[in-house]
Amino acid sequence: MSEAIITTKGLTREYVRDQFKVMALHNASLDVTKGEFVALMGPSGSGKSTLLYLIAAMDRPTGGEIRVLGQDLRALSGNAIASWRNAHVGFVFQSFNLIPVLTALENVELPLKLTSLKKKERLEHAETALKLVGLGDRLHHFPKQLSGGQEQRVAIARALVTDPDIILADEPTGNLDANSANEVLSLLHRLNQEYGKTIVMVTHDPHAARFATKIRFLDKGELLSEGTKPADWMSPS
Amino acid sequence: MGRYASLVWKNAIRNRRRTLLTITSLGFSLCLLGLMMAIYYALYLSDTPPAQALRLATRNKVSITLPMPGYYLQRIEKTPGVREAMPWQWFQGVYKDERDPNNFFARFGVDAKKLFLIQSEIRLPEEQKQAFIADRRGCIIGKKVSEKHGLRVGDRLTIKGDIYPMDLELNIHGVYDSTMGSDTLFFHWDYVKENRSLPKEYTDVYSSISILVETPESVPTVIAAIDDQFRSSSVQTRTETERAFALGFLNMMGNIKAILLSVCAAVTFTILLVSANTMAMSVRERVREVGILKTLGFKPGAILGIVLCESMLIAALGAVVGYGLATVLCGMIRQGPAFSSEIANLSIQPFVMVAMLLSALAIALLSAFVPAWTASRVPILDALRHSD
Repeated sequence: MSEAIITTKGLTREYVRDQFKVMALHNASLDVTKGEFVALMGPSGSGKSTLLYLIAAMDRPTGGEIRVLGQDLRALSGNAIASWRNAHVGFVFQSFNLIPVLTALENVELPLKLTSLKKKERLEHAETALKLVGLGDRLHHFPKQLSGGQEQRVAIARALVTDPDIILADEPTGNLDANSANEVLSLLHRLNQEYGKTIVMVTHDPHAARFATKIRFLDKGELLSEGTKPADWMSPS
Repeated sequence: MGRYASLVWKNAIRNRRRTLLTITSLGFSLCLLGLMMAIYYALYLSDTPPAQALRLATRNKVSITLPMPGYYLQRIEKTPGVREAMPWQWFQGVYKDERDPNNFFARFGVDAKKLFLIQSEIRLPEEQKQAFIADRRGCIIGKKVSEKHGLRVGDRLTIKGDIYPMDLELNIHGVYDSTMGSDTLFFHWDYVKENRSLPKEYTDVYSSISILVETPESVPTVIAAIDDQFRSSSVQTRTETERAFALGFLNMMGNIKAILLSVCAAVTFTILLVSANTMAMSVRERVREVGILKTLGFKPGAILGIVLCESMLIAALGAVVGYGLATVLCGMIRQGPAFSSEIANLSIQPFVMVAMLLSALAIALLSAFVPAWTASRVPILDALRHSD
């Protein structure tokens, strides 16, 4: 059996909003092994994005344990978390989140600026990543000159340019048409199958979830046990 | 921070119109600041030219507008350490039409033979110099006066007396140039002094006496010696270096030092507000991008540095524009009437240029620090949700 590279035990995230406590995630225990492609599904407000942000160390849990690649994320300071994230995690957003004033190549180069690579090497790596996602001919295009699908592929290139162990995707096809969504999902599938990347993807879309090797459901902040769906969940067509 | 240079540059020019307007407004403000600093530097901090360092001026201790008895000149000439002394007599008068301020230029009555010894910076052909010395009704005019009023050697010039009840009918024998300014007319004070129709209170008094000392080291001793010998007289004197004398003359218009410093402070405060407003707007528009950078692994320190560098880049460009404008303005001031030799040679010295740049950078740091610090500390998720 493969080693779990993401382990959460009783993971909890509670917010205080307008003096009211909101339990975004409660007692979530999850194991993701190396090379898995896990889809986190569930209705809006179920806590799937919260779980993803906690795995990415973009947020801090209020309870429970979380170890990613053997690292206890709660033990890392703010600066150490930033370095850790840069080295081990690639993140893909629903709304692409490219920097509009930078070209595709410069956007993909950004995470490499935090490494010791020289400019020439950084640009070579960024170009390779863009070619990998099929955008070798769009290196010097600005985000506004690209289609939504192309923007998301640039974002995926940016996520994988540092060769991270884990790629986390938050509704990566949420803003795309069906064709572009398929391209992006195929790309993620390829990264998982051919390059062995561990992927955790949050999605609403049952079609997108089919590309994953494992699906876990969340409901009202609870991570349901494997094979269980929310009672009112519509089955994939 | 060098590897973020392209990001800093692209952020700085992302809103080109706003950046251009900010640079322009900073440029104009820094131009004014640079100009004030240049004047302050010229008047109070610059080195005295070697020839000027040997010159003193004596006047009535109470006020430059009050006269000293004529015999003071002979007493001063005999003071140990004094090489030469001559009248330096303000005539004023009116050229053409007093209602037109453009007709104003300084007119001083001097001892023509000693003028070129004491004011050794005055340059003109030897034959013009000799012609001036030889003619009691002769005068020499500065190059600026010649160019501005179209006056040439051989022309006759009438200066109508206003303080003095006589007119000067002068023959122009020379046009001089000088590092101390060239916007003055010099004539023989003897021309006035020998006018028998004038009462003694006009001809036998001086408002100031220009003195050349033997060595720069003897300046304090000579100053003390001159003033001491008239300490018990009814008219006491005040002797000071030529520069201090000129500054005293300028201070008749007001406390120049305080005016300059007040304008500098006001300009600096204005630039601070302009810059702070721009940076606050610029950072506020990019909170989401700060969240993206943090997601990619950028640390708060790097984000703080990027925003501060962006602000400093804009300020430095403003300083370059300001330097250019201030240089042009200095040139225009040099062409105008000079109240002192320092203003006649006004320029943006390297010291002032560095001070302008440092002021701009300090303002940039101050104005951008709060928005940059706030942006660097905002939690990732809050930043990413911004404007969603």
